[in-house]
Amino acid sequence: MSGTKRDWNGNAKRRDGPRGPQKPVIKNAYTPMFEALRDELDAHHDRRERIVKASRDITALSKKIIFSLQRVRKIERELPNNIQAEVDSRLADIAKLLAGLAPEIQGINRYRYSRSLMCLEELVEALTFAHYLRTQTLLGPDELASLVEGLVKQGAAPEDAVMANAGDTAGGDAAEPPQPPPADAPTVTLTIDDYLYGVFDLTGEMMRFATTSTALTGTLASSGSDESAMGDGDEAPRTILHDMHELGTFFEMLPVSPGNRFQWEKKLDVTRQSVRKVERLGYDRIVRGSERPKGWVPDLNAEDPAPGEEE
Amino acid sequence: MAPPMIDPALFDQLKAKIDEDTNVRKELDQILDDLNTHVSYTQGVLSRIHSTPRSKYATLLGQVEDGIKKETETIGKLSGFASQYPYYKYNHRWTRMVQDAISTVILCAWLGGLSTESNPGELGRLLTLEQIGEALNVPVNLKDRDAFHVTIEEYLLGLISVVDELSRLAVNAVTLGDAAMAVRISGFIRDLHAGFQVLNLKNDVLRKRVDSVKYAVKKVEDVVYDLSLRNLIPQEAQGQ
Repeated sequence: MSGTKRDWNGNAKRRDGPRGPQKPVIKNAYTPMFEALRDELDAHHDRRERIVKASRDITALSKKIIFSLQRVRKIERELPNNIQAEVDSRLADIAKLLAGLAPEIQGINRYRYSRSLMCLEELVEALTFAHYLRTQTLLGPDELASLVEGLVKQGAAPEDAVMANAGDTAGGDAAEPPQPPPADAPTVTLTIDDYLYGVFDLTGEMMRFATTSTALTGTLASSGSDESAMGDGDEAPRTILHDMHELGTFFEMLPVSPGNRFQWEKKLDVTRQSVRKVERLGYDRIVRGSERPKGWVPDLNAEDPAPGEEE
Repeated sequence: MAPPMIDPALFDQLKAKIDEDTNVRKELDQILDDLNTHVSYTQGVLSRIHSTPRSKYATLLGQVEDGIKKETETIGKLSGFASQYPYYKYNHRWTRMVQDAISTVILCAWLGGLSTESNPGELGRLLTLEQIGEALNVPVNLKDRDAFHVTIEEYLLGLISVVDELSRLAVNAVTLGDAAMAVRISGFIRDLHAGFQVLNLKNDVLRKRVDSVKYAVKKVEDVVYDLSLRNLIPQEAQGQ
């Protein structure tokens, strides 16, 4: 749109309404309105950018926690010290990120940016997996919510309080910071979908854990595997195979979450395959357990990696 | 005895939440069905402007206003229902329809309809986002509470539909012998085009739709060019 516009008489035309053209920005009666809208939209885009950045970091840290946890070999009350230390330091980083994120996703903004908050699924996966490895039970959404809330408070607290507190949070109980921030401090809330999809991914992690731990210890993981529980006659300890069955059934029985049916079906299918793989492990152990040398890894179908393995 | 893998209460808790979500969507669908009917009807009536001379706009706009009244009622129902739940959880289900409703309101007012005491109807009047909120009787651009409202994006997208419709009207008005209308439209959408240039757009749906504005501008400028070449622009429209 360069050059001079002329009307049909050949007179140079004023291009933009009553006020006439101006060089840098074309101004007209509607410019102030658009400028106001622009400022609002910019604020929205900037906020989303900040959320996406924090989300990416939280996802990466959660994945690292999961990698650390995959080096655990059996289910027991306390994680090995070195692994616990790794988990703690990453959780402390996550806590800070969550505390920064919390004010951005209050009220109406929680769902506005929920598509940029995939990190919460990943965090659910990491926290439920850690909980399973310690207790052999599934962490419920309410306990999880208070755990995350504890993390946010911890992240918002001053530096020294964080150091003193890091262990508690990872220990499974909601942390009680020494000088709690104001009660109405913003927190990060989890949606029901964050929880459900996080637990879907948990089944994949449990499958991988079952595979390596069975290969290296020669027994299916269970919290009673190395203690007296073995002696009590028919009361064999519950194994990870049983837990996988229970989780599989759990998801089969739940109605499909209507938010994203396609994704639900996909995740459910992956879960089914994970259950099959662990079933196969159990079968192998019974049929040829006594013959198999220690460290032998069953030949599981490698075509379908568990979700979350891409990175 | 070790605790069970899954707390027995958990299943019912989750199932109840999923069921609730499903039911909300079902109820929403019913309201949205109604809204869709009213919006389509109003759009249909409005499309008659392309074959109606300007002298008969008043009758036509009366019918459009009736349609808008129905739209407003249904949006009121939607607002009451949707405000019970997180706004952005379900917003995507109605945003297209609300955009279309907004565009009927903007177009009707631009053509001279929807006259109010403080804002009498005249040709070329652009309703702002706030005035849209008044016309549809819902809040706009809410940030401090989580309830139904009309968003900035919905307003801008609705406005772009109007630009498109006006570029069509410019052609048809000329056919009906109303060359002044084409000149008027040309000035208006050129100003809007300049307005859209002010926005910093990300690579999203808004940007894609804004891109179409420049084609509308060109289309109408071509019409005005054809007219001026043939000396068909009436005197009183030349000032624009």
